[in-house]
Amino acid sequence: MSAVGLRMVNIQKSFPGIQALKGVDLEAYAGEALAVIGANGAGKSTLMNVLGGVLRPDSGEIYIHDEPAEIHSPLDAARYGIAFVHQEMAMLPTLTIAENMFISTFPTQAGLIDYRTTNEQSAQALARLGCDFPPGTRVSHLSPGDRQIVEIARGLLIHPKIIIFDEPTSSLTRREKARLFDVIAGLKTEGVTVIYITHFLDEVFSVCERAYVLRNGETVGGGMIKDLTYQGIVQMMIGAKEVTSYFGQKADQAGELALKVEGLTRSGVLQDIGFELHKGEVLGLWGLLGSGRTELLRAIIGLDPIDNGKIMVRDHGNLKPIQPKDAMNWIGMLTENRRDEGLLLPMSVKSNISLANLRGLVTNFWPLVNAGLETTLAEKFVNRLAIKTSGLNQPVATLSGGNQQKVVVGRWLERNPTIFFMDEPMRGLDVGAKAEIRTIITELAQSGTAVLVVSSEIEEIMSVSNRYLVMHRGRITGELPGTADKDELVAAAAGNR
Amino acid sequence: MIKKFNLQDFLMSYGFTIIFALVLIFFALGTENFLTINNILTVLANAAPWLVMATGLALVIMTGSIDISIGSILFLALALGNSLMLYRGLPVAIGIPLVFLIGALLGSLNGLLIVVVGINPLITTMGMMFALRGLALWLTSGLVQNIPPALQQFGRIGLFKEFIILTAAVILVLVHLLVTRTTFGRHVMAIGNNAEVAARLGVRVKRVRFLTYVMSGLMVCVGGTLQIMQISNVHPRLGQGYEFTAIAAAVVGGISLFGGEGSIIPGLVMGGLTLVIVENGLTHLGVSPYVYPFVRGGIIFLAMYADAMKSRVMARVHVTKDEELTTASA
Repeated sequence: MSAVGLRMVNIQKSFPGIQALKGVDLEAYAGEALAVIGANGAGKSTLMNVLGGVLRPDSGEIYIHDEPAEIHSPLDAARYGIAFVHQEMAMLPTLTIAENMFISTFPTQAGLIDYRTTNEQSAQALARLGCDFPPGTRVSHLSPGDRQIVEIARGLLIHPKIIIFDEPTSSLTRREKARLFDVIAGLKTEGVTVIYITHFLDEVFSVCERAYVLRNGETVGGGMIKDLTYQGIVQMMIGAKEVTSYFGQKADQAGELALKVEGLTRSGVLQDIGFELHKGEVLGLWGLLGSGRTELLRAIIGLDPIDNGKIMVRDHGNLKPIQPKDAMNWIGMLTENRRDEGLLLPMSVKSNISLANLRGLVTNFWPLVNAGLETTLAEKFVNRLAIKTSGLNQPVATLSGGNQQKVVVGRWLERNPTIFFMDEPMRGLDVGAKAEIRTIITELAQSGTAVLVVSSEIEEIMSVSNRYLVMHRGRITGELPGTADKDELVAAAAGNR
Repeated sequence: MIKKFNLQDFLMSYGFTIIFALVLIFFALGTENFLTINNILTVLANAAPWLVMATGLALVIMTGSIDISIGSILFLALALGNSLMLYRGLPVAIGIPLVFLIGALLGSLNGLLIVVVGINPLITTMGMMFALRGLALWLTSGLVQNIPPALQQFGRIGLFKEFIILTAAVILVLVHLLVTRTTFGRHVMAIGNNAEVAARLGVRVKRVRFLTYVMSGLMVCVGGTLQIMQISNVHPRLGQGYEFTAIAAAVVGGISLFGGEGSIIPGLVMGGLTLVIVENGLTHLGVSPYVYPFVRGGIIFLAMYADAMKSRVMARVHVTKDEELTTASA
């Protein structure tokens, strides 16, 4: 076995309310590609952010080639030869490719930036990835895939000893991906330690030699890839704990067709999506992060433009084609990020509930919002959804997550949507609040609403869905019945067919 | 990536230059004395101090921030410096650098409040705008002060216009180099793009933002000192509204208020010159001076409209067209 390139010992890190890393040990050898695998929230990003100097650990040591390393900032990390290729692209669009790559490490001559060296070196790094963009091109002119290439090239620039790839392929084409895998192979022969984070297990098997599996901030397994199986890794990721069965609570099966989508395409994001949603059913849209779930919802309700596709909703008994911009007349949407997109945090519970329905609160006689009607409306939903507040005027910011979510639900319920999209409705809620939201979803379906639920948490989605659609890289790759078990779902989402 | 000619892109990139040229032609044909060496010198000499004053603020705007205290900073710094020169016999050679120093210090006070204390930039500099003006009025008892005789005489020398134009040109080139060719300048742009990303990439965001405010305070005093030699006195309304003229010059010149976009040369220079040229041209046309603010407002709206159009066009991301999704999962 070759030399130990990186050793992380007993790394602990906690955030308010959660211990993200509970003493993780990790060893990586020079010249190998190590996969770090885990479900969302397993702690793999936190661990890599610690290594990349983005986060400071509460305790623990890091050794690079057996030398203790003190990493306090991304620049420190770079000084130790650690390159971090981020998943969310860290790009400065109005600057050029070369400037983006060198922003904190410009070579200078007499105080002025040496653009010749800068451009030459960035061109070289890009060439390694098989790209010939002029380094003076503005990043705003590049496509997401090209930006990802620049991001990777930036990592190569410092001639790293350790390079971390966090979901590097999510926006790459097949050709670019193959090129990246070649580069990774090249790095390995140069003795670089490659750490590879991905949701796509098929990539792990083709790129990596060894794997660590994290769950809930702990290392739960791993070993040589050749000794591991697909099913084995999935088992470790989700744990032995069985899904609590909520099947009894689930809504009854489907009524008539409420929404039909055909051939929906958004170039580079969604590919030929078609599905049906029925009244009274809860359809679970299941897929890994980056599979296009949220993008699909956004495209249907007109928040993102679409290139192609047909959307039809049931309106007065007939199925009628609609434009995405009108979709909100039929479809209620609970966004993934309720704090930023769904609520006006400093405003009161009352204002937040009445917000989308102010027109209904204006009487003809006196064209101002009728305070009495507004209070009645707010009270109705506070009671119906059992929102726990000290009063209607309590600022939403001070409510618990579950109650905030209920406020958003209440706002939409007043508009009586026949279709309800819920993106991560239970994210960040405690067990009790989750159960309440689950009950609300079930009740909605039982009252005839067609509900589409997206969740990254397999237990959550399994607890409410009657049927599943599986998404993988912008396509619907399968449909599973409500009786599908966890292994089937995980396997389908990872693209193993 | 092959670039094809695209009329929309062309107009977006050069539209302003075209309008600028049309305005010049209009005034040149419409008036007799507009296109004379003497008038051109006058225009440039009028614009020179404004351009210098706006350079520091332009840096602040490029980070996506704002500073509306520069007029008051200038007034207080000149009132202090001038009083010392006039009544305490401070030599001009010390007095003028002292004015610059006071400007830089007041700018750093802005920087501290914004970067360290974390007060909103608009509120901070608005507070400073009122407070510093008040302080300076109290100091001068609201009276008009002449500037030292030496400076008055210097303002009247034969080649003063040439001097002021040349000085401004040198300063503008230097600041232009600062923006385009130094790490500091590129960090300013990086912060204007996205401060969080910049920080993650190792840019010392707080330090750079602080320095832009120091520059803002310093440069307004440099430009203001050039101007004061033309006016010959420090009066109670000195600097009033300067911040908005400077912002207008920057914005008309294509420096986006959202940050990360724009240049000193040609951007700020073109913007500043446009404002001065239009007013100069209107004078030659014999238009009432009361119309000028209205025209200036119109120019600003046009510039902002062009800016908004530009960001709308740019927002359409060019998506890579190829086999990707169809084959990636195969």
